[in-house]
Amino acid sequence: MDVRAQTAMVFHLDKCIGCHTCSVACKNVWTDRPGAEYMWWNNVETKPGTGYPERWEDQERFRGGWTRDGDGRLALRSQGKWDALLKLFYNPAQPNLDDYYEPWTYRYADLFDAKSGDDQPTAIAISQITGEPMAIERGPNWDDDLAGSPLHAEKDVNLDSLTETERKALFDVEQLAMMYLPRICNHCANPSCVASCPSGALYKRGEDGIVLIDQDKCRGWRACVAACPYKKIYFNWKTGKSEKCILCFPRLETGQAPACFHSCVGRIRYLGVLFYDAERVASAGAVSDDALVESYRSALLDPRDPDVLAAARRNGISEGFIDAAQRSPVWRYVVEWKLALPLHPEYRTFPMLFYVPPLLPVMGRTQGGLYGHDSREFHATFEDARIPIQYLANLFAAGNRGVVEDALRRLAAVRAYKRAQELGDLDIDSVLAALRAAGLTTTDAEAIHRLTAIAPYPERFVIPPIQREEALPSSCDPEHCKGSCGLGASVTPERGA
Amino acid sequence: MMQSFLLLGLPYVAILGCIAGSIWRFRTRRFSYSALSSQFLEDKSLVLGSMPWHLGIFVVLAGHAAALLFPRVWAGLVASPTFLLSVEAIGLAASALAFVGLSVLLVRRLTNGRVQAVTSVVDLVVLAIFLAQIVLGVLIAVIHPYGAAWSTGTLAPYLWSLLTLRPDASLVIDLPPLVQAHLALAWGIVLLVPFSRLVHVFSVPLAYLWRAPQVVVWSNPRRWSSSVAAATVLPARRLFLRGAAALSVGGALLAAGTAETLGRFFFGPRLSEEQQARLDARKLERLRQTQREKELAVERAAQRYIRIATLSELDARKGRYFIDYEMRPALAFLGEDGLPLLISAKCTHLGCTVASELDAQGRVLCPCHVSFFDIKTGMPNAGAPAKEPLPHLAWVLMDDTQQVVASRGADGRDYGRVDPERAASLSVYIAKREERVS
Repeated sequence: MDVRAQTAMVFHLDKCIGCHTCSVACKNVWTDRPGAEYMWWNNVETKPGTGYPERWEDQERFRGGWTRDGDGRLALRSQGKWDALLKLFYNPAQPNLDDYYEPWTYRYADLFDAKSGDDQPTAIAISQITGEPMAIERGPNWDDDLAGSPLHAEKDVNLDSLTETERKALFDVEQLAMMYLPRICNHCANPSCVASCPSGALYKRGEDGIVLIDQDKCRGWRACVAACPYKKIYFNWKTGKSEKCILCFPRLETGQAPACFHSCVGRIRYLGVLFYDAERVASAGAVSDDALVESYRSALLDPRDPDVLAAARRNGISEGFIDAAQRSPVWRYVVEWKLALPLHPEYRTFPMLFYVPPLLPVMGRTQGGLYGHDSREFHATFEDARIPIQYLANLFAAGNRGVVEDALRRLAAVRAYKRAQELGDLDIDSVLAALRAAGLTTTDAEAIHRLTAIAPYPERFVIPPIQREEALPSSCDPEHCKGSCGLGASVTPERGA
Repeated sequence: MMQSFLLLGLPYVAILGCIAGSIWRFRTRRFSYSALSSQFLEDKSLVLGSMPWHLGIFVVLAGHAAALLFPRVWAGLVASPTFLLSVEAIGLAASALAFVGLSVLLVRRLTNGRVQAVTSVVDLVVLAIFLAQIVLGVLIAVIHPYGAAWSTGTLAPYLWSLLTLRPDASLVIDLPPLVQAHLALAWGIVLLVPFSRLVHVFSVPLAYLWRAPQVVVWSNPRRWSSSVAAATVLPARRLFLRGAAALSVGGALLAAGTAETLGRFFFGPRLSEEQQARLDARKLERLRQTQREKELAVERAAQRYIRIATLSELDARKGRYFIDYEMRPALAFLGEDGLPLLISAKCTHLGCTVASELDAQGRVLCPCHVSFFDIKTGMPNAGAPAKEPLPHLAWVLMDDTQQVVASRGADGRDYGRVDPERAASLSVYIAKREERVS
């Protein structure tokens, strides 16, 4: 058992209101630079929808993640060892600017310099790459809130395996249903981007599992852009280097939650430590699609198990990390309550960001568009849910409906339990029966309710003590490092000739 | 002046500049090391430019490197006309491929707005200089064909003279201007490497072929050292197993070889009685021969003189072979002065026995590697493989009564006097110890 600590995340999709505050916070902190304008390390997608970059889930086109070969071994979908060298010159799986969008600004000076006339002066859109006037044809959330659905949402890759009726239910104009999917880097335990990097510039931090790119080592070969199935690595067209979400590690190292977590209006985000068995990472991903969620859950280690603790201490995991792991909200959501699921586990990268699937649009259909809370229908509701269970299963369980239904059943039971408690309009016996059927006790239900609805900052973000003085290589002379910024760069990152 | 700078000064400026510049850039502006791909901004014509260009130039450079760095091996290969023609054809095809690719890249860089946004002056210089270099190379291949052959005697020694710090421009100074321009431009490109996007050639990620898929970096040295033990158990065990497997395979091969020999000894086919008898007879014969040789040596060692021949038996043109006290072959001639001339017959090159008959110039031939030795001086001919002269031997002349009448020392001086009338009755001997008769 090789115990590793991972800073893991849970996004509670029932609480996401799709406001993009997280995206803006991230953009203002990290990607407000030339070459990074198009990068959205954090973005919020409307589902069903094509996402960002367009149709990123289409791995026939973008070839991200791992595939399982006949012997049950994992292999990169994007490249082998030798053709990786050939793909340095041209990588057929790399998305280009048009798969994202051409970043633009406006020529604001026109507003002031325009000659007086009959018309209002306008600031025309200009490209942030060429500086030339341009027609805006795409944006980072072009299909937000199902805008232009016939053009965009129907191209959603996850709809491919749905029946015609299910599709129709989804796009029935009177009852359009949608959900939001905020995405950042998953900081996977088996990252395909790291495995693909020809220069070895990508790495996983040993202490906290954050996946980073060494900007001095990166040579811009772009293999990672293709290999990441979530398309969460972006190529900086100006510096010729790849960049990605850094989970705001400078903030984590000072005890603050990442900018997107901190700014989240709906408080949907949870951050905490998970222990996992590094020796089981590859084998856990080498099972059939249906078994993936369970397999990944079983590779996570109980931070209260004495054997795990002994192995963790042997690996040099500090007491502070162990304490954080024991208080981790992520452990509770993912393993204890089995509420949170990985996004597209079939990419087999063992993502460390988990989503609680949304219940609201699922339950909403039954009573003529009004949310149903009749306890008799707790289990019937899934059959004709507004968002088909199969669609959620395609997103969060590699098509395994059972896993998603389990999670939704628990969510519904907790909801009914609290409603019975607060409003008293539900039959408490059938509510308790539903709780039992979902495998929860009333204590569990109270804890789930507290963590979901009430938990304050320190309960949502149990940040392990990643101390600055430990994170900086101790060989760094303070006199030399004093001019450095949060990323430790003391030389301006300028494009080469 | 300009020419010698381009051929002798520029190479050193370029090589030193390339090494020093790259190191300086790596130490001070490591971030700027990048392939600077623009595929993200434009990929449709990039694939038509980048792929042919890189593949073509790789083949061309590999050919140049093989011919210039290993000229002897290469010269042996291009001696075959088939190989030479194939190499020329492949080179031309690859150049054409690179030319097409580069042209596409240049046009793309000049016409695409997005690509222009990331184009520097140096980028254009690089493209232009490479285009010129390829055109020059193709012109040379067409106007002065078979460069794969003629370069081994001109350009390769020139390059090696530079590399071994004995610069010699005379090897290339008379080559056609096209070739000299190609050379000068090549050095220019080398110099350009650290100051342009060309630095990416130092970044070819060959290590990717054998590195482990996942990379984990521990920031804290303390934690790293304590946890790395757990992390490296598997690789260490794998290394151990691999080493053990290699040792066992080696051991097994060794054991198999030994067992095979032993098996052959104990269980292998036996000789028939007839074969055994023949073998024993041959062994006996060899022993007898050794015995005879030993007896002769002992006999010689015991005797004060060894008789060679009578003086009248010696001939001026054809020598008589004999064996001296050290059991070495020697030749006896009749000298022009009517006295014996004894000379070693063991060639000073590799020890063959020289022939006994003189040629027209009074020389004997060593047939092994064709050295002619003048018997009067013992000197080999100029240019012969043998460098040292054949030594002369001392002798004594004795009459019927075993009275020494004359002798010649190892220093070549003669002692005593020979009465011509009695000459026929004298015999030539070599003596164990030098004797001087007054």
